[in-house]
Amino acid sequence: MSKELVNLMVDLKEQEALDLTTKSLEQGVDPVDILAYARKGVGLVGEKFANGVYFIPDLVFAGEILKGINKLVEPYLGSGKEDDRKRLGKVIIGTVDGDIHDIGKDMVVFTLDMNGYEVFDLGINVPKEKFVEAIKETGSKVVGLSGFLTLAFDAMKETIGAIQEAELRDSVKIMIGGGQIDEQIMTYTGADAYGLDAMEAVQLTKGWIGG
Amino acid sequence: MSEHLIEFEPLCKEGPSRNGESILDSAQRMGIGLAGLCGGAGKCKNCKIRIIEGTVSELTPAQREVFSEEELDGGWRLACQTYPKVPCKVFVPLEAITSSQRLQVEGLEIGFPLDLPLNTVACELKPPSLTEPVPDAENLLEEINIQGPIHIDHYVLRDLSIRLREWKWRLTAHVRQGEVIGICPPDSRPLGLAVDLGSSKIAGYLIDLNSGRTLAAKGILNPQVSRGDDIITRISFAIRTPGGRGTMEELATVALKELAKSLCAEIGAETGDILEAVVVCNTAMHHLMLGFPVRQLASSPFVPVETGDLNVKARDIGLDFIPGAYLYFPPLIAGFIGSDHVAALTATADHWKNETALLVDIGTNTEISLITPGKITSVSCASGPVFEGYHIENGVRASKGAIEKVSLSGDSVHFRTIDDVDPIGICGSGILDAISQLCSAGVLDRRGHMTEGSHPGVVNRKGQLEFELVPGKEGRGNHRISITQKDVREVQLGKAAIQAAMKIIIAHNNISENDIDRVILAGAFGNYLDISNAIAIGLLPSLPLTKFLQVGNAAGIGAKLLLLSSTKRIEAKDLCSRIKYIELAGTPGYTEAFLHACYLEPYHLNRDAVRD
Repeated sequence: MSKELVNLMVDLKEQEALDLTTKSLEQGVDPVDILAYARKGVGLVGEKFANGVYFIPDLVFAGEILKGINKLVEPYLGSGKEDDRKRLGKVIIGTVDGDIHDIGKDMVVFTLDMNGYEVFDLGINVPKEKFVEAIKETGSKVVGLSGFLTLAFDAMKETIGAIQEAELRDSVKIMIGGGQIDEQIMTYTGADAYGLDAMEAVQLTKGWIGG
Repeated sequence: MSEHLIEFEPLCKEGPSRNGESILDSAQRMGIGLAGLCGGAGKCKNCKIRIIEGTVSELTPAQREVFSEEELDGGWRLACQTYPKVPCKVFVPLEAITSSQRLQVEGLEIGFPLDLPLNTVACELKPPSLTEPVPDAENLLEEINIQGPIHIDHYVLRDLSIRLREWKWRLTAHVRQGEVIGICPPDSRPLGLAVDLGSSKIAGYLIDLNSGRTLAAKGILNPQVSRGDDIITRISFAIRTPGGRGTMEELATVALKELAKSLCAEIGAETGDILEAVVVCNTAMHHLMLGFPVRQLASSPFVPVETGDLNVKARDIGLDFIPGAYLYFPPLIAGFIGSDHVAALTATADHWKNETALLVDIGTNTEISLITPGKITSVSCASGPVFEGYHIENGVRASKGAIEKVSLSGDSVHFRTIDDVDPIGICGSGILDAISQLCSAGVLDRRGHMTEGSHPGVVNRKGQLEFELVPGKEGRGNHRISITQKDVREVQLGKAAIQAAMKIIIAHNNISENDIDRVILAGAFGNYLDISNAIAIGLLPSLPLTKFLQVGNAAGIGAKLLLLSSTKRIEAKDLCSRIKYIELAGTPGYTEAFLHACYLEPYHLNRDAVRD
């Protein structure tokens, strides 16, 4: 079953993967193993994306299949906490004030989520105060600011300023991403790093809080 | 086998076949764009035809596979595998033709009664005398004798007295809504200027206001390009740089001035002969030209200062037309849809009136309007500059030497360049063709992935796969022209934005593709793109080719109409009041629609195209 599920995930065969999961659960396969195989499949999809074989939507679809499998497996896990313990760490993501582009941001949320992180998605057009609040509430160590418009760079700078003012800057790592972001813009906004695609967001997060 | 006459229906084209030529070969030689992707191997099944009259060669196994017994009896064949034995009459289904009908409206003259926003009045004044010392202005106004209040622009008053005497009291007065905006010698030719002020190109048309005829036309590069390729970058320049807004305004004004000057020079006139101008443009250009603030345009919720139409004295923005001349700015729709789209709607009204139609203008920002009886819905999406040749490894603008058409047959690559000179790069329509043909040939899969070894043209250069259209030649510098894997990704993102926008606008109106009578493609890229190839990769929806109409620079035509007709100006305003604008970013279902749209495959516009 193991190889079959991994292959179905890699081929993005949603229905077949879900059917196989249901069948395996009924046959008494360990749900923790099923999740592990599914994650392995997602990992391979990520590799194919990195190699240019797969494209943006494939990453998201793999994430959706994983979500579906999670749902099926959940009732079979001892308690809800079991899965929580597996979470690698918390990340806050949002599109900054004045910008309402969500595709890139959604991609990062998906990818972090399927790589095992607990993601707090603040949505679009997020005022700087909301980021500060979210850091206080969740205790996240990583914040991702997204923005596509050129003016979003100012909003990123202001958001990071607000985090600094709240004396939280030293307790979080901040990454930015979106349209035409580069080293120079990163310096301008005061962020710690920038990423050009969703996989880079995962790499950065891994580097900061492990996983 | 010898020469036989072949008639192609319903195209009304005929010609003799040459010795040993298949019907496909003959068709292509005669300029009938019958698609043949597989190079005659009978694999792609694109060249389906029906023999109406005449005897042709024996059936091949490939044809037996493609067609049912019934179809074969009905005369259906693959043109690539069929040879005429006697004179034949052949039916070509429209979906098998690669190029659809192209309307050359660029040169189309205005065919409607002129209804100028200004009156030209021939006057002969009675010179004043000691017994009747009538002031010159009063003398002129009495002679003009128009109903309602009337006054003379004070710039016209400045040299009124000198001119009246110089012209011996005979003159032409130009009156615009109760205002004398200029005076000319008798029998002078009244000129108007229509301008399509694009982000990258500015198109100008000098019009004879008496006849409506275009006397000269010219396109120049928008000098604002030096401050950024796209609108957002220019807005940010205007905001961030001290004096930035002024710089942008000045660049646009200088460009207009130069354009007007060179157009007038072409016909031996002077810019002072221009009585009225119309400028259509996107909202950001509009604001930058008029010196309006633009910060609020670049950030949510993207509101313009003003969307109504404006009449601005040409001299107020530094243009030296006739002293009292006005620049007319037609109404805007929203932050990302400007008067250029309003002009395109105006110009194409005859094609969409009483119908359900889509008007699509593909550019860096793609504007789409869905017209249904009584209502217009508009969206704008950021499709990026790929179809204008930017962000593409060997991409160039559509100019001399740009590869504009590409086709593959078997292992060979065919292309055509603009003006048939040596290729310098590839422009939007060429990129579209190449990617579509690479898909058909199996070089690209639906995910847009290029497969090594799938075609002799695929090469691995520094770890990245690319498809060589033009191999580099030794001793001639590096003239290699390729489509890289990254280029394919750029096209996927661009077309996905357009496809998703199309689906949202359809879903919003709860209609389905069968309801759509017409798809009007405006703009340069829209004019030259190959519809079949655009459908094949999902840039345009899968609809019968006959529903597509390529109308060229509709914004420019619209600007001309708005210059020449008060009625059109009123209609344009009325049109705008019926437009519902949808902001795509943040619309539920857009992200999902976008992701699905990334695949290189045809799509349909169904009610359930967008899931929330």
